[in-house]
Amino acid sequence: MTPDSAPSPKGRRGARVSGSPSSGKPAKSWNGNKARETAWGYLFTSPFFIIFFIFGVIPIIYSVYISLTSLENPLDANEVFVGLKNFRNLWHDPEFWKATRNTFSIWFFSTVPQMVLALGLASILRNPRLRFRLVWQTILLVPNITSGLAIAVVFGQLFGRDYGLINYCLQFLGIGNIDWLENTLASHVAIATMITWRWVGYNSLIFLASMNAIDNALYESASLDGANRWQQLRHVTIPGLRNTIVFMVIMGTIGGLQVFAEPLTFGGGQTTGGSSGQFNTVTLYLYRYAKDLFNYGYASAIGIGITFIVLIITALNFLITRRIASED
Amino acid sequence: MAHRNFVAKFTFLLAALALLVGGLVAAPAKAAAKVTLNIWTFGNVIEPNMKTRYEKMHPNVKIVAVNKGGPDQLAQALIVAFQAHKTPDIAAIETSWSGLFRDYPQYFVDLRKAPYNANNIKKDYVAWRWAQGTGKGGEVIGLPTDVGGLEVAYRVDLFKKAGLPTQRDAVGRLWPTWDKFIEVGKNYNKKLKRCVDKKKDKSCFIDSSGTLFTAILNQGTEKFYKGVGKVDYQNRQVRAAFNETGKALVAGLGSRIAPYSGDWYAGMNKGSFATLLAPAWQLDYIKQYAPKTKGLWDVAKVPGGGGNIGGSQLSIPKAAPNKTEAWKFMSWYLAPAQQLTVFKEYGLFPSAKSLYASSAVQNYKDPFFRNAPIGKIYASGALKLKPLYEGPKERAIMAIFGQALGRIEAKKQNTSQAWNQAVADIKTALDR
Amino acid sequence: MTTLSSDADLKTLGAPNRTSNRGATYKKMSPLSYVVLVVVAFLSFFPFYWMFVVASSSPDVISQTPPSVVVGHNFMNEVAAVYKQVPFTRNMLNTLLVCLSVACAQVFFSSLAGFALAKLNFLGKKWLLLAIVGTLMLPSQLGLVPLFKILVNNFNWGDSLKALIVPAMVSAFGVFWMRQAIDAQVPKELLEAASIDGASIPRIYRTMIVPAILPTAFVLGLFSFLASWNDYLMPLFILQNPDNFTLQVALNQLNTKAYGMDYNIVMAGSFMATFPLLILFVFVGRRLVTGVMDGAVKG
Repeated sequence: MTPDSAPSPKGRRGARVSGSPSSGKPAKSWNGNKARETAWGYLFTSPFFIIFFIFGVIPIIYSVYISLTSLENPLDANEVFVGLKNFRNLWHDPEFWKATRNTFSIWFFSTVPQMVLALGLASILRNPRLRFRLVWQTILLVPNITSGLAIAVVFGQLFGRDYGLINYCLQFLGIGNIDWLENTLASHVAIATMITWRWVGYNSLIFLASMNAIDNALYESASLDGANRWQQLRHVTIPGLRNTIVFMVIMGTIGGLQVFAEPLTFGGGQTTGGSSGQFNTVTLYLYRYAKDLFNYGYASAIGIGITFIVLIITALNFLITRRIASED
Repeated sequence: MAHRNFVAKFTFLLAALALLVGGLVAAPAKAAAKVTLNIWTFGNVIEPNMKTRYEKMHPNVKIVAVNKGGPDQLAQALIVAFQAHKTPDIAAIETSWSGLFRDYPQYFVDLRKAPYNANNIKKDYVAWRWAQGTGKGGEVIGLPTDVGGLEVAYRVDLFKKAGLPTQRDAVGRLWPTWDKFIEVGKNYNKKLKRCVDKKKDKSCFIDSSGTLFTAILNQGTEKFYKGVGKVDYQNRQVRAAFNETGKALVAGLGSRIAPYSGDWYAGMNKGSFATLLAPAWQLDYIKQYAPKTKGLWDVAKVPGGGGNIGGSQLSIPKAAPNKTEAWKFMSWYLAPAQQLTVFKEYGLFPSAKSLYASSAVQNYKDPFFRNAPIGKIYASGALKLKPLYEGPKERAIMAIFGQALGRIEAKKQNTSQAWNQAVADIKTALDR
Repeated sequence: MTTLSSDADLKTLGAPNRTSNRGATYKKMSPLSYVVLVVVAFLSFFPFYWMFVVASSSPDVISQTPPSVVVGHNFMNEVAAVYKQVPFTRNMLNTLLVCLSVACAQVFFSSLAGFALAKLNFLGKKWLLLAIVGTLMLPSQLGLVPLFKILVNNFNWGDSLKALIVPAMVSAFGVFWMRQAIDAQVPKELLEAASIDGASIPRIYRTMIVPAILPTAFVLGLFSFLASWNDYLMPLFILQNPDNFTLQVALNQLNTKAYGMDYNIVMAGSFMATFPLLILFVFVGRRLVTGVMDGAVKG
């Protein structure tokens, strides 16, 4: 019996994100020996779980416990169990919801251009006839390795209201000075720009790696059928990347909803997120309650609130993106 | 087979690296019986030359001064270190954090006790700076390093253009009170007509009127706490400081440029602001970032007489491994003689008040600032301040007031709206 | 039916048909593509370049508008100043050690767990996978201080690079990604055929999974390396002695201004920290390119 030689589009095969085998078929062990499979299954996953349990789960359990107490300054260590009081306060906290709105806004302004740009860059990069490939690939990673201090300085200069480079250029275009700091929308765009700048190259390389896993035969047959570059993109590349796109949107959502370093540096190191909290994000809000207001109980509650939001949005994103990607 | 080679190469690389670094780690054998003092510092609190000098005097002591990046990072790291019971021998605490740490004297060595007996040297230091190192129960948890002070650095050429006097004593007489300061500012903006948003050669009276708030507050006797554990941020002095700052903000006195921002450094060069409320150490910033403005700046007395921003205390955490050696270094470093050296070499204004009358301080003139007698000016200012109790939530409350002032500056709210929201925000934040 | 006498056979068994002349399927690069690349490259690189400008100029370069783009003469002086302040080479080696260890460990453990979750069946597998995805959603700041206490108090790893390496040896992101890659790139039929022929599970892992995921492993390794490289908070809390510092923490040491920043020397340090990484990328990038473009990839 020869192995399956007809190349199937990998996108369809790898479509399911969950671990279950193809629907309809019962879970059959390809191995024949269920006990052996189980043993190796546990063994192979154990390093992950042991280390993750000690250094990932236990701290989180502790934080959950703290969220149910009134612990303020950790130096006091005299917490009192208060049940869901922190969560009730959180639910009614307008600043938290404002931070949530801001986070979504920044996420939108950064993720959408990022994904589009990354896809575009990857499809340019994948062409084997591209010259100086190494140069482009290396430069694209430079933003990701530039140190946070340098980024703070550079972007602080770029977005200066009176003397920043961006406003300087805008003046030539007749637009005039934008108050990047005080104006809510402008601050979101500025922060989103910082984030996009940092991650676009990184994401395009992920897309590139995945694109190269798409079977070439598909492109061949598509071009034989007369498809031009755009059509190939729509009907071969994007479906083939469906798994990756879903993955990237999920990771982009999770990461984007936790954005914290950029608003912190944008605000000059202040944790307030602007004079009216215009660029406060949920994770910055957490940080502020932990590090500046010394209220660990409430900060942990915020953290759990963030987790729920991320969960819901990720689930939504997953469903939506899967649907969109499979329509093609 | 490619993957085998790959894995092999990688493992080899890793092993080689491990050996290399392992070798590096093992290599430096420490001389026997040497005491290593671990100091957590920020900026230039511990001057390198002084450290070297001490090591020469005490060959059995090695000082490792770790720069934690800034006062805030240092304080956060210290809090974490306290919880882990692994602290340095000496930690610098910036004055804006003293409110917090003074509330937790149990984590520090009480330097009043033997063998430190800090009270013996208390008289050497300015009272209000000493108070910033005093715990809530009267413990001495830190000794003061330098004095930030606060005076007004002003642009002589711009004052001249606006028809204002330029000689520093005359300038100082223009504004004995903050009200007069605001009046002068309004006239400046009216005369020069350059305090217009988006104008290319914009020039306003001050960088940010918000800086008045801290200045006025620190001149008083009460800040955000009535006493230990007694939060009171709506008292008369706070309200007055807020309203006064509000007046300046509403009058559009400042160019709305935040200190230490990109625009601020640029603004120094372009004359975007004619005055700066400057602590002594900030004069250095002007020198470094706007060298071409040499001779265009001078220093005059601040309204209300005296002020302070910045400075730090050196403290010995309770879990410090080498307390006695730490105290030996600390008391040497902060003794008047050494503070004088630091002043002469680095320009940090001393907290040892015995030095204020010395000729070194009184005759210190800075050519960059038209030979202004910096020493004399800041010394007289430093003597005017009174001890001020600061509590643990000090910084958080300040940040919320800062937000409120920012809203006034951005014309999002008027003074009373901003105040009301600030008070409500603080209440929410503290009551959680 | 072929007998699986060697690993090489296993591999060719897995490789589907490949088009012989890849170049023919691709149209020529349009000039627009190059324009886009140049613009993006310029924007990506400019902050880095400006960092070098600041590092090599006098302090007031930061206050110039429009910002100066001319490189100054002062760079070597700043380099000397950096070396005076911190044991820079040693910090660089520390960072390399941490990052390489983390990258290798993450790739290895993630591939193991990803293989198990993708292809092996065992009780609780679905829940495990869900748990892994769930943990991705937790903000890392949440458990930072408890983690620190565990590392320092329970394991006594204060001021040790171990504290930076061990917790980072596994990553939910890595497991998740490996699982996706293995699921997509290794067909079940292949595994069935191999196991019918008597290959043990470890052997299958070694000879079939590893080659299939090499490019993914490489990319994952690269990204783990980067994440570890950029880590700032945990090293700041853990590392005390400057000899043990990683680069991000060492850069702190360069700032001798109490408020604001000593721009020239900090930018010089940042540049010195970033530049070797660029060189590393060039070498790694080559591997990334060839690994991605030639036969190691499942078509």
